[in-house]
Parts: sequence; structure tokens; C-alpha cells
Amino acid sequence: MIQCEKVTKEYHKGDNVIRPLDGLDLEIPSGHFLALMGPSGSGKTTLLNLIAGIDSPSSGTLRVDGLDLSGLSRGKLAAWRSQTIGYIFQLYNLVPVLTAYENVELPLLLHSMSRKERHRRVAGALDLVDLADRHSHYPRQLSGGQEQRVAIARAIVADPKVVVADEPTGDLDRDSASAIMALLQQLNRVLKKTLIMVTHDPKTADYADQTLHLDKGKLMDGRAASSGSALDDEVTP
Amino acid sequence: MRLLPFEYAVRNLGRSTLRLVLSVLGSFLVVMLVIAAVAFVRGMEKSLIGSGSPDNVILLGAGSAESVERSELSPSVAGLVSASVPGIKTKLGLHYVSPEVHMSLVISARAGEDSTSSAVIRGVTPTAYLVHKQLRIVQGRAPLRGHDEVMVGQLAATRIGWQPEALEVGKTLWFDNRPWTIVGAFAASGTVMDAEIWCPLTDLQIAAKRDSLSCVILTLDGADFSDVDIFASTRLDLEIIAIREDQYYRQLVSFYRPIRLMVWVTASLIAMGGLFGGLNTLYAAFAARFREMGMLQSLGYSRAAVALSLMQESVLISLTGALLASAVALILLEGVAVKISMGAFGLVLDAPTLAIGLAAGLILGVVGAIPPTLNCLRQPIAEALKSA
Ligand SMILES: Nc1ncnc2c1ncn2[C@@H]1O[C@H](COP(=O)(O)OP(=O)(O)O)[C@@H](O)[C@H]1O
Ligand SMILES: [Mg+2]
Repeated sequence: MIQCEKVTKEYHKGDNVIRPLDGLDLEIPSGHFLALMGPSGSGKTTLLNLIAGIDSPSSGTLRVDGLDLSGLSRGKLAAWRSQTIGYIFQLYNLVPVLTAYENVELPLLLHSMSRKERHRRVAGALDLVDLADRHSHYPRQLSGGQEQRVAIARAIVADPKVVVADEPTGDLDRDSASAIMALLQQLNRVLKKTLIMVTHDPKTADYADQTLHLDKGKLMDGRAASSGSALDDEVTP
Repeated sequence: MRLLPFEYAVRNLGRSTLRLVLSVLGSFLVVMLVIAAVAFVRGMEKSLIGSGSPDNVILLGAGSAESVERSELSPSVAGLVSASVPGIKTKLGLHYVSPEVHMSLVISARAGEDSTSSAVIRGVTPTAYLVHKQLRIVQGRAPLRGHDEVMVGQLAATRIGWQPEALEVGKTLWFDNRPWTIVGAFAASGTVMDAEIWCPLTDLQIAAKRDSLSCVILTLDGADFSDVDIFASTRLDLEIIAIREDQYYRQLVSFYRPIRLMVWVTASLIAMGGLFGGLNTLYAAFAARFREMGMLQSLGYSRAAVALSLMQESVLISLTGALLASAVALILLEGVAVKISMGAFGLVLDAPTLAIGLAAGLILGVVGAIPPTLNCLRQPIAEALKSA
């Protein structure tokens, strides 16, 4: 369960105050697949970053499974991320000098684990994204869709509860995009990951249980925002 | 703290071959320079420190404590000190007392040649070989009295600024308007003698038309320095002073201080240039990876872990350059002799010199990586993830 209460994020640029998130209330139940839409600059990435614990709110509280993230030190937060969060980026963010296998292995090096167990997990994750035959390929030797699949394997290899995805198909052609979406849906349905995805594309959003619209740092979907609960699958417009 | 694999730092080196080559080359040049500077300064100091023996005492003309070449004392001093001070070392009845003349003279390879080359000529008697234990004759023999013969130290040619062939055994050289035949070569490694030309005392006195000595050097056995010192200060008529030989050379080291300072300043300035060049390269290289570093932190790697990896990368580069520099220095600089206005000496390329070079490389890598690393990690993860 992810709970945002009056979450505000502000940036001060001289006398100007930019407020990408403005008193946002939101609850995302565990196992939920939420799509976030909204115009560019509406605060979608900012919200994702707060949930992923790589940024902290200026005010308000954000709890994940009851844990108040603002109470954690930088180091604790980093450790928490490695346990809890998988992050999928629009531009994949694979390390170009590491192979697909090594890229997927990176998050596991943060955990105490035998080499054998690590291998089992990495191979399993690459298998899941259907890249069992690409272990030793470098990112430049892969297509965009394949790169994103490696990135998905990397996001789930440490078995996090929550996966966030920032426009995961934004840079892909239709076919690759639907393959990626099928995969994400599988993460949610089969592996029971809580999934929060930002997208510009209504078709992509259709894969989610629910779509919320952000505008100028506020949620547009009246019911979900005011009730503070998005349990109902039927709220998708 | 969980670290990034070392392999990651190693692989990052390969991102740009040009950058790798340039930065290794930069570190190579800086470390090479540091090694050369250290080898120079250590060689210079070693040649002075090594020249003095703690058992030896030098008697000089009063008022010339800073220079043997300017000192003058009566030729009778040698006999008087042998007779008056008990406890001077002897061998088969011969006292270890060496009367010497040290002169800096213009020398030339041919008669009447206009030469600006000067050499330190030392006129000695056979006791000099007893007193100066460091000296070995490596070729030919010692010069014989009355024949205008000389023998040359192995760095004499460097000191004069001549090719070594000009001072080969059998060649002739000219000073004080007469020819001198080279009959031997000697080595006195790590001492000032190594750069001198030696001839019999009386031959030099005749040629230079002087009968005074420059100094008398003696080796103590049972006696103390104070015994000689008392002799020197009580025989007011002789106008001499006594100084320990090692102390004499230690005091000469201070004359070299300006040169040493100049070497250090030059080396530091160039090293600084290398450091800034390296900084620049790393700034650009690391800045191109902002997003990747943001990603690594989003996975849960701490900033310290990322910083350490960048540091490893930088140190790998600088140490590669430093190792190359050490190897090249050993090949190119080992055995090289250099000349400065005050003398000639061999560069010292020993373990401490190389260790200082490697340490300089290490410091270069660590210090050079700090600002670019801070620059990378200063920005919040969310911002790093947005960079191009
Ligand atoms: N570090 C920052 N400093 C100042 N303004 C920022 C910063 N990060 C984001 N913003 C601003 O916050 C707003 C929301 O950004 P973002 O969450 O990235 O939007 P998007 O919905 O397109 O993902 C934008 O107007 C952006 O300019
Ligand atoms: Mg965005």
C-alpha cells in the first residue's frame, strides 16, 4: 500500500516557486496497476520519483507499507530502494559497458547472495523477458525493445514489491511497445507487483487497472483523488 | 557499504580509447617528470653526502670554510699534523694524511685551443688513496709523479661537457699550458670525486706555480675530532681550521638549495598543469555519465559507492601512466649523469625514487578525481536521471 497525504514538491528558482506536485492525496493498494497520464510538466515523473524514494516531498507524507519515507536517512533510503523498488526508464538506462547479464546482475550485488543464487535469479529474469539467448550481448547489440526488456529484468531481479515505469514504451515502435506492455501486465498479474506507470498513450494506459490524470501537480480524477482510494477497477474512464 | 564491481571501473576505461590514451599519457608525463626531478635532487644530494666520511677530518686555511678551492695552507701542515696528533690512522707506518690541491682549471683537448671548459683538478699524493676509501681505479693505473700524468673520474667528461671519448685512457689533454697524458680512470660512485681529474700533487703545484696546499685530509683512528680541532686552533701560526668531512659536505648541500628549489618548483608547476588537464578530461568523461550515475543510485548504490568506482577508474589511469613512466625512467634515465654549474652526478633511480613517482601517480589519480566526482554526485538523483 502506497499512501500520499498532501504531498507537495516545490523548487525555488530565485523568487519563483515551481510546484510540480501540489497537495496530492493518493492511495495505491498493493498489487494494483496504475497508469498516470497528463501533459508534459504536470509532475508525473516527480510523483514517480517520490514513490521510488529517489526524491523527497517538500511537505506532506508518503508511506509505503506503513513506512514513512521522509524519516529515512539517505543511506537507509538507498537500502530501502534496493529492497522495494524496481525502476523502468523511458531510455532504458542500461550500462553500455556491461552485458545484458551484468546489467541485470547489478541490483543483486547490493544483496548478500551466493554467486550461484545470483546466477539463478539473473538467468530467471532474462528468461522471463525472453532474452535467455542474449546474456553476453552488450546494449548496443540489442534493439530498443530488447534493451527495455533487459531493463525490466533488471527492475524485477531483486524481487521488489513495487515497480515504477516512466514512459516505458515512449521510445519504442508499436510492436515492441505491446510486447513490453504484455510483459508489464504479466509482472502485475503473475508476480503480483504493484505497478505504477507513466504514459502519454491511452492505449498503453488501457493495460492498467486504473488511469489517473495529473495536471499542474494535482490529480484530475475526482473520485480517486478525493476518496483517497483507488481500489475500484471501474474508475478507469 | 556495497560496492560496484571493480570490473565496472575497468570497463569504463574502454568507453573512449582516445580519452584513455590521452589521460594515461598525461599521467605518464607528470610521473616521468616527478621521477626525473626526484632522481636529480637525490643524485645531487647523494653525491655530496656520500663524499664525506665520518672518520675523515679536513684541514682548511682559516676563513675559507665554504670552499676547498679557495683555501690555502702551508705545505708543512701535513707533516705537522701527523707528528702532533696521536691517533691518526696508520698503515705500515704510513699516516692517513693526504695533502691536496684542488683547482678549477680551464682545460682543452689540444694545445692553444680556445676553451671554455673547466674541470676540477685534484693534486694528490699516494696517501689520498688511503684516505678516500670510495675511490677505485677501474682502468689503467694511478698517475706517476714527474710525468705529467692524470687519471679521470667516470663523470669527469659530463662535468666538463665533453664526449666520454675525449677522456679515454691514452688521450692527452691540456691545462696550465702543458699536455697531460691520461693513464687511468677511476670510479668513486656517489661522490664529488667522481667528476674530478686527479694528478700528482707536485706536478700540479709546478704547473700552477704554487706551493701551498688547498687542504689536508686525514683519517682518524684512536683520535677524536676534538684532538685535531685543538691542534688546529692552538697552532695559530698555521692559520688553519678543522672540519669533519661529512659536515663539510652537508654544509655544501645548502649551496644546492636554490637549484633544488628550482627543480621542485618547475616539477610542481608542470605536474599542476597535468593535474588540471586530467581534471578537465575527467570532468567531461564523468559529466557524460550523469544519467547512468543517477540510475546506479536509483538501484540503491550509495553515492560513496559510485564515487569510489569513479575514483578507481581515475587511479587505474594514473597508475598505468605511473608504471609506464617508471619502466621508461628505468630504461632511459638509469645511469644517466647530469652536469650543473657546481659539478656532475648520476641520477639516482632507486626504490625510493620510483616509490615517490608511483605515489605521485596515485595522488594525481585520487586528487584529480575528487572535483569531477563531487561535480557528478552533487546533483540529486532525480536531476541526474533527467540529464542528456
Ligand atoms: N529539479 C528541478 N528544478 C526545477 N524544476 C523542476 C525540477 N524537476 C522538475 N521540475 C519542474 O517540475 C515540473 C514537473 O516535472 P516532471 O515531473 O518531470 O513532469 P512530467 O509530468 O513531464 O514528468 C516541470 O515543470 C519541471 O520543469
Ligand atoms: Mg516525465
